[in-house]
Amino acid sequence: MKLFEKDQKVKITLKVNGKPYETEVEPRRLLVHVLRELGFTGVHVGCDTSNCGACTVIMDGKSVKSCTLLAVEANNSEITTVEGLAQDGNLHPVQEAFWEKHALQCGYCTPGMIMQSVWLLKENPNPTEEEIREGISGNLCRCTGYQNIVEAIKTAAERLRLNQPLYQRR
Amino acid sequence: MYPPKFGYVIPDSLGEATEFLEQHEDAKALAGGHSLIPMLKLRIIRPSYLVELKGLKELHFLSREGGKIRIGALTTHYEILKSGIPLLSEAASTVADPQVRNMGTIGGVISHLDPAADYPASLIAMDAVVRIKGRKGVREESFKDFAKDMFTPDLSPGELVTEVVVPDFNGYSFSYKKLERRAGDFAIVGVAVLLKKEGGVVKDVRIGLTAVNNKAVRADEAEKMLLDASPDEKLIEKVSEKAMEYANPTSDIRGTAEYKKKMVKVMTKRALLDALKR
Ligand SMILES: Cc1cc2nc3c(=O)[nH]c(=O)nc-3n(C[C@H](O)[C@H](O)[C@H](O)COP(=O)(O)OP(=O)(O)OC[C@H]3O[C@@H](n4cnc5c(N)ncnc54)[C@H](O)[C@@H]3O)c2cc1C
Repeated sequence: MKLFEKDQKVKITLKVNGKPYETEVEPRRLLVHVLRELGFTGVHVGCDTSNCGACTVIMDGKSVKSCTLLAVEANNSEITTVEGLAQDGNLHPVQEAFWEKHALQCGYCTPGMIMQSVWLLKENPNPTEEEIREGISGNLCRCTGYQNIVEAIKTAAERLRLNQPLYQRR
Repeated sequence: MYPPKFGYVIPDSLGEATEFLEQHEDAKALAGGHSLIPMLKLRIIRPSYLVELKGLKELHFLSREGGKIRIGALTTHYEILKSGIPLLSEAASTVADPQVRNMGTIGGVISHLDPAADYPASLIAMDAVVRIKGRKGVREESFKDFAKDMFTPDLSPGELVTEVVVPDFNGYSFSYKKLERRAGDFAIVGVAVLLKKEGGVVKDVRIGLTAVNNKAVRADEAEKMLLDASPDEKLIEKVSEKAMEYANPTSDIRGTAEYKKKMVKVMTKRALLDALKR
């Protein structure tokens, strides 16, 4: 058994976007704050009540709301944030589709929305419009509405299925 | 929002977890954390320690044997929704949103016992059994008795839910209908129906209601009206009206008591019609 007192710092290791990080946290520290301090400020704090999804990251293959997770619980896990999606300077197909379809206005919800879409398309590569809407029901957008976001996810789904990103370079 | 300070315990075994929880009555088990962490952030609770259950593999399983389905306490809503359990998988698909379903567990739901939680309508209809482990050993209890009142499971200090057992309900049709104010919210009214028909005649039927009492209830008299009948629109209307008598909701932001009560009739009717046509 491992026991940490409330003022004791716990050493944790996180693999974020493929790179290992070691840090020390109080048991009560939330994952979202630790990720932001490590520099992953694409992870947004929105409602802070597990409703809005702006803090969504992928942890060990599951999309989760990092404002409702303790950093100690995430010890030894693999985390992907929006910063980890682009590969070799190429945007991820979901990012490209959000760009192309104007699926954002202020952009606050966008990183969480994109992470949730990436998870959704991994679980269900060919979703119906209803499945897309259900799939992002844990992510709130307060400016564009959802029309273009849904369009973007449809476009991304198609491209991912055809393995055909819009822009090859960049 | 930051949670208050607490210590953190990572047990190596279920026995260590129950022992620690028994010795520290103000400590709390941490499963998915999706009720616990919001309560901590709102400072509704101030536990001395959290005891992490995540690593206890003996609580994380799903198996089928001899007409029963055993669901480990740490099984997430997403895992339940994917596993084709009659009625319960459908209920799981209506819990919160995908991210919450990736974390929240069935053990957490029934130990928390929010009066508006979704599973209880199904669990009470399914005659689910809860398996509990404490330092003194293992015991079993029907979900009906386990859920003593809202936020009040029948758990002594140091006891943990290890699994939920439900019959496989081979040959039954089912439906869970949830009325919600917005996507991902808790139920205003939730109605679970399990039904077995032979040659057009109802041979068994269970109707469970959630969110309209302190805890989930069965609409017994409504069920009896359907037994050995070949239901038509008129009978279903009457049965749904009867189910309404089992609702004693309170007015809150999700609706007035009067509205919720009326919605029990509407949702029961929808659930029955849905189950009958499957
Ligand atoms: C935004 C949001 C929306 C939600 N919407 C819904 C909804 O629509 N419908 C619904 O039903 N629920 C909803 N929930 C609640 C959700 O289903 C929670 O996951 C669930 O209530 C608790 O499960 P958990 O595993 O997260 O438990 P935790 O939060 O970890 O624990 C809850 C309580 O149970 C105790 N506990 C946990 N596991 C055990 C165990 N094995 N033995 C004994 N005690 C234990 C803990 O000590 C704690 O007191 C929502 C939650 C959020 C954050």
